[in-house]
Amino acid sequence: MEDDHDIDEEEFEFSRNYFLAKESGGKSGKKSARKLSEIDLLDEQDLRTEVSKIEPKHEKEIASLISSYKSLYNEWAFELRYGFGLLLYGFGSKKTLIEDFASTALTEYSVIVVNGYLQSINLKQVAMAMAEVLCEQLKLQPRSSGGSLKSQQPFNTRSMDDLIAFLDGPHTQESECFVCLVIHNIDGPGLRESESQHLLARIAACSHVRIVASIDHVNAPLLWDKKMVHVQFNWCWHHVPTFAPYKVEGVCHPLILAHGSASQSVKTAIIVLQSLTPNAQSVFKVLAEHQLAHPDEEGMPIDVLFTSCRERFLVSSLVTLNSHLTEFKDHELVKVRRHSNGQDCLYIPLSKDALEKLIQEINQ
Amino acid sequence: MASDEVSPLPFISDNDLKPFYVLHKASNSQQHNVRKPVGRTSRKVKVNLSSSLAATDESEVFDNDQLHNNSRMKNFHNAWVKIESTIKDVLHNIHSDVFNEISSWVQKSFGEICSSGKLDANKATCSYPIVTDVTSKQIFTALVVMSNIEFVDDLQTFADLGVHLHSHGCHVANLSSVDFSAKSGIGGCLRSLLRQILDGSTDAADISILASWYMEHDNFKSPVVVIIEDMDRCSGSVLSDFILMLSEWVIKIPVILILGVATNLDSSKTILSSKAVQHLSPSKFFLGHPADRLDAIIEAVLVKPSSGFLVGHKVSAFLRNCFLRQDGTLTSLVRAVKMAIVQHFLMEPLSFTVKGLLDEEVTEIDAWPTQALDLPSCMRLSEPKSKALLSGASMKEMLNMWSSVVLCLHEVGKNQSTTLLDLYDEALDPKLYNLRNSDYLESKPDHQRPSWIHGINGSSSEKQKGRLISRMIRQIKDMPPAGLFQLLEKWDEQTKGVDKIHEKVKEIQLQEPFKDNNLKDSPSKSRKQSTRNIGNLDRGTKALNEKAVAQITCMTRDHMQPIECIPFHEIVCFKNVDKLQAVLLGDPRKRIQLDLLECNKFLKCSCCTKSNNVPISSMHDTSLMYTLSQEHGNLINLHDWYQSFKAVILQKTVKDKQKSKVSPSPKKRKIAAEPQNITEASVQARFCRAVTELQITGLLRMPSKRRQDYVQRVAFGL
Repeated sequence: MEDDHDIDEEEFEFSRNYFLAKESGGKSGKKSARKLSEIDLLDEQDLRTEVSKIEPKHEKEIASLISSYKSLYNEWAFELRYGFGLLLYGFGSKKTLIEDFASTALTEYSVIVVNGYLQSINLKQVAMAMAEVLCEQLKLQPRSSGGSLKSQQPFNTRSMDDLIAFLDGPHTQESECFVCLVIHNIDGPGLRESESQHLLARIAACSHVRIVASIDHVNAPLLWDKKMVHVQFNWCWHHVPTFAPYKVEGVCHPLILAHGSASQSVKTAIIVLQSLTPNAQSVFKVLAEHQLAHPDEEGMPIDVLFTSCRERFLVSSLVTLNSHLTEFKDHELVKVRRHSNGQDCLYIPLSKDALEKLIQEINQ
Repeated sequence: MASDEVSPLPFISDNDLKPFYVLHKASNSQQHNVRKPVGRTSRKVKVNLSSSLAATDESEVFDNDQLHNNSRMKNFHNAWVKIESTIKDVLHNIHSDVFNEISSWVQKSFGEICSSGKLDANKATCSYPIVTDVTSKQIFTALVVMSNIEFVDDLQTFADLGVHLHSHGCHVANLSSVDFSAKSGIGGCLRSLLRQILDGSTDAADISILASWYMEHDNFKSPVVVIIEDMDRCSGSVLSDFILMLSEWVIKIPVILILGVATNLDSSKTILSSKAVQHLSPSKFFLGHPADRLDAIIEAVLVKPSSGFLVGHKVSAFLRNCFLRQDGTLTSLVRAVKMAIVQHFLMEPLSFTVKGLLDEEVTEIDAWPTQALDLPSCMRLSEPKSKALLSGASMKEMLNMWSSVVLCLHEVGKNQSTTLLDLYDEALDPKLYNLRNSDYLESKPDHQRPSWIHGINGSSSEKQKGRLISRMIRQIKDMPPAGLFQLLEKWDEQTKGVDKIHEKVKEIQLQEPFKDNNLKDSPSKSRKQSTRNIGNLDRGTKALNEKAVAQITCMTRDHMQPIECIPFHEIVCFKNVDKLQAVLLGDPRKRIQLDLLECNKFLKCSCCTKSNNVPISSMHDTSLMYTLSQEHGNLINLHDWYQSFKAVILQKTVKDKQKSKVSPSPKKRKIAAEPQNITEASVQARFCRAVTELQITGLLRMPSKRRQDYVQRVAFGL
């Protein structure tokens, strides 16, 4: 009953925190309306170089923390041998840790590393590589049934089912052969699809395969159903925070201060506009000025734009205007939306500040 | 895209950006050693296992160490193999009835198909099967109902069923819902069907291949059985198409379907199209209740000490909680037991002595090693360590008695649907055992019992604990003679081999006053006789009931000693529930947040120790940022967050400046000079990296187009 009580308490605490957070964000009206553009931001290039130059903190402590996990290697290797999959989690990059483990404690296995933090991974190629490595390993074995292996067709022409069937083949009686699959960030963007996870689970369940994986996302366990967790992956969890920087893992993530900020989109807009004819630039300016003058309107109806451009001798016909507009739309400088009165109207998808900056820049 | 243009990053190697690469291949020199993996692993394991022993004299022990570790691993391997095979056998026995039933049904159905449509080679090879009437297009279908919504537990059952049918000569294909996905369509399931039946020799999805294969050799002498383990999860349209197609071919290929149904029998009608349903001629089969399977496994693996591995009370409570509260699957329970074995042999250095201890054939058991005398359970013994305790034999005896008493009690509870899991849990509780040894179990009349024993439906579980056994004992008291007779017979069976108890049970059995009254067939007796005898009988059986109660009370008191009360139990008993829980169920959501909020616990650096989780500049950047984010609500304004981050980072500079003004020693100035280097650019870079890291952990949701200046918090509370 004590446990029950604790659980209830915990749940209550949890929901209370949630609503408190929601409340302080929404209702109180104290919500800060400050904008990022108020900070003098570096541009992306400089920011990236600056990021790579960040001085590491606590280097010594992190190193000793990571090396303290060395004492667990034997335990891990043991669990791996008896059919469990290792799942390492905790804050910090676990890439070096896992690779160190694999190269010191798993020398008798072939090890294939998958970088799950990358955007796209072809699992079939991974399976092919595994099958090739396993095949070599089996051939080397004394008294192996090598005869049956020779007659097989090359792995790159085989189907995924065939590959899995090969990896799931029976062990020879005298010895066991394993290929260890190391997956950094099994919860990474390239593997997050349920299809990939199902495929990985099938590979992990093969008799010749052992799996070591790391997760970083707090909700990663939601990727797996019970069959995958209990039967296929058979995870053995280990909490190993390293606090090492996510250097490689973060490479594909956009930097928050460089992403979507006003300065960035203005810069790209200017580059596009400068490549256009002066007339086209002026058409854009007409639209921009209209948008600045009528901030509450949904956009500028196309016929209004046409009239006002013709008045200034910028275009002679609707055809020329449309060709300019197509150019703008292709570069996402201008977008179309339906006005409340049913009319299509044009607008520039930039904030007021950004638009002002942009006009200044072209006027120079 | 931007990242590609950036000048090559020094910390990233080529391999880091490849989707995958081979780290190393199995080292060749070691290939030959692989033959005795157990020994090899043990050599490694030796180095750093935490031990429950005080530090022993290194030099003295070192020689034996190797030996011990080897035998430890051997013991582990034996226990592991034994438990695996025990579980397999138990499940096999439980299912054997249903399997036989299904198997004979398959043969019967096959006979019917063969008798209705005659096969000849001419018909079979023509392009489209000639179907004469609709009734012959029926597919015999077994709906196998699992009384368990969790299909995980039944995956193995269907695999076993496949093997069983295969051994009876059928051509079997085991398909699952993965094969019947809308994405791969009918080609997908057909392909895996052909793969399995034709043994992987084709990749085409064409059923005529199957038809012509079926006519070859002796294949047509037995039916094709298609097992679909989880029909409920299949895509309805694909499965319907599949059934329609099979029905067209059913004369040429006598297919028999076996569908696993997790929900209810009508679900086939809702999932399949009505056209497909028409072609099914269903029969029903029921798999055993999961609770029965659970009891059987617990009895075989945990109650009967056969593998040299047992678990303590806390661990059993954890297993029980896992099963009842969280998962409810047998698979996870079995997994937990296996994990516990691994952890036990990894952590307990003395487990090398287990060998033969619990094996029935081995009679000679070595004495415990001297180190064992230092075990806490042995230290506790007040009397001088008697010789009897120094051997494993006494422990073996105690364990056998314990398990037979538990099983006897379980026999009592069987009619009342008491699960063995609950009983097992209670029987292992050392606290209750000590209580029991006082006056607790004595069968006082109800009103004299302490009131908490019969609290109404247990207002708290603390009070409920220990009720189970006493309730069972009370049940015996009110048992009708026939029931008692059966019970005593069961006890007789269960206590065989445990002489101390067995004799007493026999004694009661011999005393039974109804021995000559032939109670076994009492209902058939003439009414006259029974009414005459009833008074006599009543008194006689009441006395017998009392005797049985006294016997079981005595058994529970004297012989049901929980493993944790037995000296040297550490050697065979796994008690570290925290470790088991951590390894079995990771809690990334909580742990990762705790890592960030209490980074000092792990890093143990001198600079942040005093901070007490107040953000200071020396903290790990991401940790600092996450601590700061806790002050925000649902949405975090990036500008504010940035400013507070910057403020904390620059904090030290200000302080140090002040300090340096007071005491301008050159050393301090040097320290102060470092943070002064902090430029706006580097703060921005650090901010960005911390946000990226938080994004990787999933604790932040990135700004949307609408709310460009805000990120969203994802986790509230641990």
